[in-house]
Amino acid sequence: MNQEDIDNIGRSLEQESELREKLKDRVTELERRTRTMTATLSQIHSTPKGECCIVHIMSRLVLSSLRSDLRNCRVTVRNIADVVPSDQFWRWKDLWTRPMQSLVFVATLSRYLENRTLMTLTELNQELEIDEDIKDRFFIPTEDYLQGVITMVNELARLSVNTVILGNHEEPSEISAFVKELFAGFSMLNLKNDALRRRFDSLKYDMQKIEEVVYDISIRKLANSQKT
Amino acid sequence: MSSLVQSESLKIRGLFTDFQVELDEHHNRRERLIKHSRDATSISKKVIFLIHRVASEKDQNTGAAVAHAAKQGLEKLSEVKTIFSKMQGDLSEQNFWRYQKNVSPSVQEYIEALSYAHYMASGRLVSHSEVQMSLCSAEGLPYFPLDYQSYLLGVSDLSGELMRLAIVSIAQREHRKQAHDICRFVRSCHADFERWSDVVPELDKKQDITNQNLIKIEGAAYALSIRSSESGTGLLVSPPDTSSAIC
Repeated sequence: MNQEDIDNIGRSLEQESELREKLKDRVTELERRTRTMTATLSQIHSTPKGECCIVHIMSRLVLSSLRSDLRNCRVTVRNIADVVPSDQFWRWKDLWTRPMQSLVFVATLSRYLENRTLMTLTELNQELEIDEDIKDRFFIPTEDYLQGVITMVNELARLSVNTVILGNHEEPSEISAFVKELFAGFSMLNLKNDALRRRFDSLKYDMQKIEEVVYDISIRKLANSQKT
Repeated sequence: MSSLVQSESLKIRGLFTDFQVELDEHHNRRERLIKHSRDATSISKKVIFLIHRVASEKDQNTGAAVAHAAKQGLEKLSEVKTIFSKMQGDLSEQNFWRYQKNVSPSVQEYIEALSYAHYMASGRLVSHSEVQMSLCSAEGLPYFPLDYQSYLLGVSDLSGELMRLAIVSIAQREHRKQAHDICRFVRSCHADFERWSDVVPELDKKQDITNQNLIKIEGAAYALSIRSSESGTGLLVSPPDTSSAIC
């Protein structure tokens, strides 16, 4: 092997390992933030019933604190994007796939609890200030967004059970309608035998769970009106 | 109680329609690359066999057989380059690293074949820039960047081919000097790569294999030395020249 190659390869590998360490530190910060947010969100399962809709179940205070937590992630994400070399997003992405998926989960679930809508990927990018101009270094791939959305559905299935425990009999059918729409959306995708496909399969069980809850409520005439 | 508002339902359908298009594009691109990759791998393997075949042809002196093998190998490798040139569009910008894992095996196989041909032609290890240059269009634009990991893993595989060549050369009077050259060459490759075996993924395993190959090559060289010393006709092979490094 010629000396030039030895020098070049050595230098390049050294730079890569420095970059990896730097990225790991910054990702750790992101992980810390998303864990805190996930913990905050888990309160929804035990917050007693308020009025008729879920907006009141969880105090506005908690939701607004989640909103500001989410905004605080902007800097953390930007810190990661700053050190990723141009066009090497996919090379390093594995380092932050998990925390970013959790971030999607937290953001989409908070949005659902606020106004029963699905936060789109575009809205999430705006929220996190992941702009077009850093696209060659950082963005949220569709697959990761969808993974986060599936985690949200998993959580909504749990929520449908827990709202009933807390005496709210209206919420499950709302959740059911929303999840059915999402399921119909996912069914449109031609999934290959990959990670997304396996997660998609879990949606069926979530749907089933939610439908059972809705059934239990309606057969006992517990809800004010049965529309589903 | 009102269920989902109509507009939300439409919005979700719209979003997933876009996702469908995007994911289909990704899967198609990935499949195209995997298919090309498989073709490139298969031709590269054929090139390696071709070089083995031509190099061990009898009734030729070593120099001629080896030069002939290198020439034929390099000619056939242009078919692989044509395939790589077709992959260029799917590997531009972001996409290179997105699909690097799908493409790397064929790049490694190509490098193995190219390095074998190159060794036959020059007795040296093909350099990173030489490989990258071979993966460029006529205008000198690379089809895709050559990452160091693929390069190192590719040239590591060369030791297996050289081991085969060394073993075959024992049986052929004309080619005996090869075993000693190969022995020295592979030893120096192993030493050069060793410094990175803990930082480049999978290189440590390749190093183990290289080492095993090296031991076999040493066995071949040893057998030659012993035989030539007892043949009584004097040394058929000059003892290895340790003073000059080969690569």
